[in-house]
Amino acid sequence: MELQMLINAILLGGLYALMGIGFSLQWGISGIINLSYGAMVILGSYISLEFFNLFHLDPFISMIMSGAILFVIGAAVYRTLLQPLIKGGIVFTLILTFAIRLIVENIILKVWSADYRTIRLTYAGSNFQFGDAYVPLIKFLAFIVAGILIYLTYLFMMKTKTGKGIQAVALDKEGAQAVGIDVEKMYLINFALGTALAGLTGSLWASIYSFSPHLLGPIVGKVFIIAILGGLGNIWGAAAGGLLLGIAETAGAVFFGSEWQEAIGMVIMVSVLLWRPYGLMGKKFFG
Amino acid sequence: MFNNKQVNIFLIIVGIIIFIFLPRFLSGYWVRVITTIFMYAVISQGMNLMSGYMGYLPFGNAMFFGVGAYVTAIGMSKGLSFLAVLPLATLTAILVSILFGLPVLRLRGHYFAIATIGMSGALLSVVQNATEITGGAMGTTLPIIDKSPEVTYNYFYLAMLALMVITSLTVYLVIKSKLGFGIRSIKANEEAANSMGINTTYHKVIAWAISALFTSIAGALYAYWMSFIGPDEVFDIMIAVNTIVIMLIGGAGSVLGPILGAFVISLLSEVVWSTFLEYHLAVLGITIIIIVFFVPKGITGTITDLIKKRELRLRKKVSV
Amino acid sequence: MGENNIILKIETLSKHFGALKAVDEVSFEVKKGEIVGLIGPNGAGKTTLTNLATGALPKTAGKVIFKDLDISNLKPYQIARYGLTRTFQVVKPLIGMTVEENVLVGSLYGRDKRNTDMKNASKRAREIIKLVGLESKKDSSVSDITLPDLKKMEFARVLAMEPEVLFLDEVMAGLNPTEVEEASILVKKVRQEKDLTIVYIEHIMRAVMGISDRIVVLHHGRKIVDGTPQEVVNNSAVIEAYLGKRYAKEVNNEG
Repeated sequence: MELQMLINAILLGGLYALMGIGFSLQWGISGIINLSYGAMVILGSYISLEFFNLFHLDPFISMIMSGAILFVIGAAVYRTLLQPLIKGGIVFTLILTFAIRLIVENIILKVWSADYRTIRLTYAGSNFQFGDAYVPLIKFLAFIVAGILIYLTYLFMMKTKTGKGIQAVALDKEGAQAVGIDVEKMYLINFALGTALAGLTGSLWASIYSFSPHLLGPIVGKVFIIAILGGLGNIWGAAAGGLLLGIAETAGAVFFGSEWQEAIGMVIMVSVLLWRPYGLMGKKFFG
Repeated sequence: MFNNKQVNIFLIIVGIIIFIFLPRFLSGYWVRVITTIFMYAVISQGMNLMSGYMGYLPFGNAMFFGVGAYVTAIGMSKGLSFLAVLPLATLTAILVSILFGLPVLRLRGHYFAIATIGMSGALLSVVQNATEITGGAMGTTLPIIDKSPEVTYNYFYLAMLALMVITSLTVYLVIKSKLGFGIRSIKANEEAANSMGINTTYHKVIAWAISALFTSIAGALYAYWMSFIGPDEVFDIMIAVNTIVIMLIGGAGSVLGPILGAFVISLLSEVVWSTFLEYHLAVLGITIIIIVFFVPKGITGTITDLIKKRELRLRKKVSV
Repeated sequence: MGENNIILKIETLSKHFGALKAVDEVSFEVKKGEIVGLIGPNGAGKTTLTNLATGALPKTAGKVIFKDLDISNLKPYQIARYGLTRTFQVVKPLIGMTVEENVLVGSLYGRDKRNTDMKNASKRAREIIKLVGLESKKDSSVSDITLPDLKKMEFARVLAMEPEVLFLDEVMAGLNPTEVEEASILVKKVRQEKDLTIVYIEHIMRAVMGISDRIVVLHHGRKIVDGTPQEVVNNSAVIEAYLGKRYAKEVNNEG
């Protein structure tokens, strides 16, 4: 019983990890608390839904499209709406991202309605055994893909010129400027990367679970917790945070009933804020 | 507003009198709409004190609205009269603000805002789950007032109007007082404020307690008015979003702002709901974007700027 | 007050940032009414010491005793109200408020408990503004005035608090020679009228020498000299600290 629970928790946590990293990067580095992040995630789900319905494309493949489209959307939104208003302070950016959420939510409602949607994959039912537990194949695949994507993000940040540029800006904005790095461009790419990760998560999510606009709000609640647990802008921190949240939710559902999930999550978040505002991992930005 | 204090006082009194007699000329529907406007003005004044004047945005401030509503509901279901429960409701809200305020107000900007959202969400969950006490997710009822609908909604109209006037007056007096300068200094430069002998923790907690006080009374009145409340309704994040938009369009950092903003936003919503029902979310979103880009200082802020520019121009003319 | 009218006593005060000893067992005393110059090259620990004394930074070791009270663990606002205040090297105006309002805040929350109501505080604020010569700018927003005026404003603000001991942290930074001269005259004038004790932090020697009764020299966080301006100027350790060993040797060879 415990093993099954643990496996469920980890598989869920992997998805949460990928989801949380995007939000954490946007908040920690670009300085934007993106209240439309939930909308971006499920937009990714709907994109995969359409590719599945129209072209029978497996979401594991169409997720590339989700990622690309959400990257572009993120870049456009950041450049036109957020960048000009950052100096206005948190009130402006918060309410602005909320406005974006409203608009995206409305579009989703109009096009796809509020009904829950699913992508029915032929191999949806298969699972394999691990000890006493059953591991659903799709969840396992999604977990692996999420892990690969997280690692790729890490490599991007550590090894590519742009990634290093983003890190530099995150650590010392003036210093980065002094060496000729285009700071605004780094913030832009980082933000767009965040929404891309959201979209990718959405596609992976769609392969396993059903989705609807109802998930919008709760997703934001979850990524808040993950970002704070892991320390803003910290990739591996967010990954750990995602896993922790997966475990907390799964265990919480078993021991307390799923209704208390949100309350538990919130209490954890506020507690971490008060005792370790830099997250459980401390102050370092990456790795 | 205008420079002459007596003119301002006169205008305000005239305004209040007009509002008192307005229901005679309006349908029940509009009386209820304006009552809601008054209510939002009250909540926005509370937010504005914290955010516009002190620079701390309590995104989850609506939790005090919910606390006020639920304590009232629970109290009245035990047989207490409204006037007996009201002090209990406000006291509970103030206690929450102080208890949570002491640790949470230490957090900087972003973190404080998020923490309040967390608190609000947690309270919502608690209310949803403590079904025996609160009626759970399905909501709870309050005693219905034994009068005709017309008398009832006129009663609540006047009650909310009175609350709005008292709240606005209180905020005005606080801002002009020594306490107000302490509060404003925190937004201006918190480190400097500390070095000048201002006990910033004390000021932050007091400001939040005042904010909680009035917001909870609004919640209490709302619950009594509606006779039925549900957790999603009174702890709704949209309450916070609406008050922020009201603050923005009215102009943060002014006492008139929240009132103006409440009117503008409500009237806008009425128009949007009747014309764009299916797109009301998107229209609200676009409206927010327009406000933030073109009227970032809100109505009062933009007017103040225009007046200053005019004064500068006149001064230049005189010196030349 | 303690023996010899000592109003402020810094006792083996230390602040370590990890392995870096920003302030290293510094001790000195300040008598009531003195102007003590606190000098040293950049990075000597002068501002850190100020932060420690005013409670803005927690100490690693040592004590700060003000008016016979150990204030080492008090909060900044408590220390300020007790009568020990400071100005900032990089001015910290209350943005969004006018010059008069800035000074008023100082006056409202200052030391004299009896007169911190709006009416009296406003009166005192206006007097101080006149004293420093900012009357024509009193209604200007702090975002609209020049640096010298900002410094005057911060000076006025801190004076409005009626402090007994005032740490002036590099008030001359960013001022041209004329402005430096003006500022020195103002400080002297104010010190006389208000019976203040001043710890005057500077790294421009000229400004400090003319005004201080005594000088404390810091270098790498340690106190290296404590004496009259004359004693300090001719001290080879000081010269070495500022100009390097070579010049110190030259002076010694000549002197």
